[in-house]
Amino acid sequence: MGILVKDLELNYRSRGRRNKLHDFQALKDVGLEVHDGEFLSLVGPSGCGKSTFLFLLAGLIRKTNGCVEIDGEPIDGPGLDRGILMQQYALFPWRTVQKNVEFCLEIKGVRREERSVIAARFIDLVGLRAFSHAYPNALSGGMKQRIAIARALAYDPKILLMDEPFAAVDEQTREFLHEEVLRIWKATKKTIVFVTHSIDEAVYLSDRIAVMSGSPGQVKEVIDVDLPRPRLKGITKSTPEFAAIRLKVWNILQEAGGSSGLKLEELIEDSAGL
Amino acid sequence: MKGLIGSIYRRSIVIVAVLLAWTIVPLFIKHMFMPSLIDVLSALVKMLETGEMADHILSSLARAGAGVVISVVLALPLGVLLGWYPKIEAYLNPLFTALRNTSILALLPLFVLFLGVGEISKVAVIVFGCFFPMLLSTIDGVKNVDPVLIQSARSMGISPFGLLSKVVVPAAMGFIISGFRLVCSISLLVLVGAEMLGAKSGLGFLIYRYEQSFQVPKMYAGILVMIVLGILVNWLIGKLERRLTIWQSVTDKETA
Repeated sequence: MGILVKDLELNYRSRGRRNKLHDFQALKDVGLEVHDGEFLSLVGPSGCGKSTFLFLLAGLIRKTNGCVEIDGEPIDGPGLDRGILMQQYALFPWRTVQKNVEFCLEIKGVRREERSVIAARFIDLVGLRAFSHAYPNALSGGMKQRIAIARALAYDPKILLMDEPFAAVDEQTREFLHEEVLRIWKATKKTIVFVTHSIDEAVYLSDRIAVMSGSPGQVKEVIDVDLPRPRLKGITKSTPEFAAIRLKVWNILQEAGGSSGLKLEELIEDSAGL
Repeated sequence: MKGLIGSIYRRSIVIVAVLLAWTIVPLFIKHMFMPSLIDVLSALVKMLETGEMADHILSSLARAGAGVVISVVLALPLGVLLGWYPKIEAYLNPLFTALRNTSILALLPLFVLFLGVGEISKVAVIVFGCFFPMLLSTIDGVKNVDPVLIQSARSMGISPFGLLSKVVVPAAMGFIISGFRLVCSISLLVLVGAEMLGAKSGLGFLIYRYEQSFQVPKMYAGILVMIVLGILVNWLIGKLERRLTIWQSVTDKETA
């Protein structure tokens, strides 16, 4: 059980100069299996379609052909079995931290008292209880992403989809967030699909790494990361095993090269109109 | 405290100087059309005592208020819809642009022709003047909502109505409120014009009538009240704005 992707294909029509339509093939013959409770990273050159693939798993983009299943059920649009985290946090700035975390529960019609209990639990989990009543504008990037994690966890999805979640924070904060996400992953036993363009990040966090190549986007190879857990900050990264895996991923990326140059934004807008 | 006094000083000194000049200069240069502020204020006090001023203020405010409320109630939902479906908006946009750039008072005779000289035509012309600015601000606001927020909400399986009411409208609130601010000042502007052209009450009527009968201090009293009303409305909307967009201004306070 878990996520199963077979022969996935995504074609995309874009309006170019003089309103001429161009057909792009964003993803072709993508095959991948993600096991329950696994931490899997997707790496690849920018524009290779890794974020597109993630949004497709989230149900925000529709596939053209192929099969995408979660626990044997084909994906048909967004669902509460998956939570997505975005690079830009996507918190609602007019809601307090508490109200942001409650958002999805509110949509689901969960009662007010129950909502606030659940929200408080996950705000505690990410260690930001003191900021429950602050507005997102008052928080740092790292804190915003932790709140976004709490918001996604609040509706208890099986799978967390993370789209370069730590790309916009500084190095020190990123390292701290790595420890946080590993701790939360261990505590909640979610399946995590993590998109990144940092090889280090992928090797340090993952059980397995799917390396993608561009134009059209394909999963080139899946690599096992057999480093022992718990991974230790400052130690794991300096072991020869870490360096070996890192080099392996890097070599595959070198061979893969290229990008399809498609724009995720356009794709999503396109699907929203369907 | 010193900064506060300085700020009050900077903000009020020019106005105080103008009022002072208005008080003193006419005492030396006598002209029928330029009475001293003292004469204007004493006329105003008399008009307040007889209740004449209050009646006119109330009837003006009722018209402006009705016009603003009706135009907002009409323009807000339509603006959200048109902002959300830009394909429809593309068809209507040229018409909106043409109507927005038409002088509203130029259309007043048309309103009188169709709706008569009563209250309906006055409120209607205010609604007409307010509708398009409100509509266009709302459309702009909805179009400018961060798409990341919409994706995020959609990923949680939100209903189309929930998306509009819980995400799109709150995210567009900044634009909507500046539209509302604009609409309130337009309503007072159009109101006075409408009241000067055939009315039996209201501040516009009062100013026009006392101009016609050369009771100049009373005319100025009407203008003065109009100015104060404008300032008051603007101040109230400022308060409302800060209340509704409190989340925008917390940055400095909470991180400091």
